[in-house]
Amino acid sequence: MKRDAAFIYSPEQLNYRFNEHHPFNQERLKVTNDLLIRLGALSEEEMTAPRMATDEELLYIHTKDYVEAVKEASQGRNRASYAATYGIGTEDTPVFPQMHEAAAWLTGGTLTAVEAIFEKGYSHALNLGGGLHHGFRGKASGFCIYNDSSIAIEYMRKKYGARVLYIDTDAHHGDGVQWAFYDDPDVCTLSLHETGRYLFPGTGNVNERGHGEGYGFSFNVPLEAFTEDESWIKAYEKTAEEVAAYFKPDVIITQNGADSHYYDPLTHLCSTMRIYHEIPRIAHRIAHQYCGGKWLAVGGGGYDIWRVVPRAWALIWLEMTGQTELAGDNLIPSSWLKEWSPLTDHNLPKRWVDDPDIYPAIPRKPEIEKKNERTVQKCLEPIYRQHKNVHI
Amino acid sequence: MPEMEEFTMMLEDIMKTDVVSVKPADRLDRAFKLMEDHKIRHLPVTDEEMTIIGIVSDRDLRDASPSVFNPSESSFAEKEVSSIMKRDVITALPTDFVEDAATVMVENQFSCLPIEREDRLVGIITDSDLLKTLVRLTGADLPTSRLEVQVPNISGMLTRAASLISEQGVNIQSVLVYPAKNPEKKTLVFRVETMDTRKLVERMEAHEFTVLWPEQTPGMSI
Repeated sequence: MKRDAAFIYSPEQLNYRFNEHHPFNQERLKVTNDLLIRLGALSEEEMTAPRMATDEELLYIHTKDYVEAVKEASQGRNRASYAATYGIGTEDTPVFPQMHEAAAWLTGGTLTAVEAIFEKGYSHALNLGGGLHHGFRGKASGFCIYNDSSIAIEYMRKKYGARVLYIDTDAHHGDGVQWAFYDDPDVCTLSLHETGRYLFPGTGNVNERGHGEGYGFSFNVPLEAFTEDESWIKAYEKTAEEVAAYFKPDVIITQNGADSHYYDPLTHLCSTMRIYHEIPRIAHRIAHQYCGGKWLAVGGGGYDIWRVVPRAWALIWLEMTGQTELAGDNLIPSSWLKEWSPLTDHNLPKRWVDDPDIYPAIPRKPEIEKKNERTVQKCLEPIYRQHKNVHI
Repeated sequence: MPEMEEFTMMLEDIMKTDVVSVKPADRLDRAFKLMEDHKIRHLPVTDEEMTIIGIVSDRDLRDASPSVFNPSESSFAEKEVSSIMKRDVITALPTDFVEDAATVMVENQFSCLPIEREDRLVGIITDSDLLKTLVRLTGADLPTSRLEVQVPNISGMLTRAASLISEQGVNIQSVLVYPAKNPEKKTLVFRVETMDTRKLVERMEAHEFTVLWPEQTPGMSI
């Protein structure tokens, strides 16, 4: 069956592994793929194998000395000074053998997704191995070495002259991508995340709006800790719609970090699986409304790799391929539960939605909702301001 | 040390030095356009020697613009800046401390202060520069997470907490120490360079420090 969406994956993507205790664990790709296969929504044959990103492509965004340092560390020639200068060999991004190759494969996956859309004629493409949004030009940060999304965006700018809208729904601010295009009016970034007052990386304030010619093309929605589904979805739908209508992109790239869920061990938002039904649904609708369907999706964070990530990411593919009826009120395939249950202490979820009582009632709920509403309003101010023309 | 610009708390370290200013004989439409083009709300007015003789704000301009009730007043754009500028300008000096400048701004409800050296305009700071400075002091402009710990108000606690963090190989970007409601306690707020604070929380708790953030029960304290 020929689909209108490309699924990018190969086992090389599993090699991005810092150490066995590190929370960033690409085993989640295997667990997700298996869920889709057992559901009958994906087959091994229809997966598109990625390529490795070339040095030239990495240099679209990263500095030469940084890439060289990653290569050195990758070959076992790490230096103590790399931690402070390049963020390599720290707690968050420790050195591991072949780390350059592993990171370049993930990046190549996102570039393969770009090619699937612009060269092969697919409307949508999904590379769950990508979404490493904290990578800076010259520094690794927050589990990320190379910033595949930034590189893919630059690739689309250079090769196809496309105006790109980047929408980031990871619980952490998409800082690397934002700073890479902070002064570029042809790339618009929108990030919804838990407020940086507490959470890593600390940036993503509503007043970070871009710089110079890029002023007004960077949008941030820092949500309160303990934000729940309804408030989260309202903020997302409103800002995604408004920003897309304002920017009129040629293509949308969504970063789908799945760490805003209550179960996620690193963050403090209180969403359930509901938002992961809505995120791809709304992205899909916007892509068809504004850019002829061109929608590239990548993964990102997500540290409950059993109860949250597989379902959240499977839903993106189901949405892209018009198969959401396979989820909905249905049960999760029992063969999938049987396969993976032995590997985790958690009870694997049996449905595609969560029970509302997985977390206790939030004491300050109305205040949190009110604050988020105001944040959304503030975030969109530059768009509203365009409408009033003040002349002397 | 990494290459960071040196950071102290004097205005000359945070002020903008490429100040957009006007002359008293400039027309109001020019002043308006300058504000729009540079996205600023204040224009110092100087003479030929760059001595500050006045200031105009976007608000002064708006107040002076023709009323809808009196549309015949069409010469507005041609008026001179000197006709509406405020002449009693409060200024600051480059070596003033940031806290003092902030106090002046709050007391007078200003959102900007022109800065002069030897009677010449050399810089300007606005409330947003002060805010940026605050964000920088708290370390939230670098990729970090917040770790908030309550400790007994006795000597040596900061050292102990900090060494627990460094034993985990995690870099500290900033520390704030402030009094807790209970005078026998102090609150330490660290911005630490890691995305995963779980091990740090464990270590702190193992050493009987009370971790206030990240908090375990949703939404109780904030």
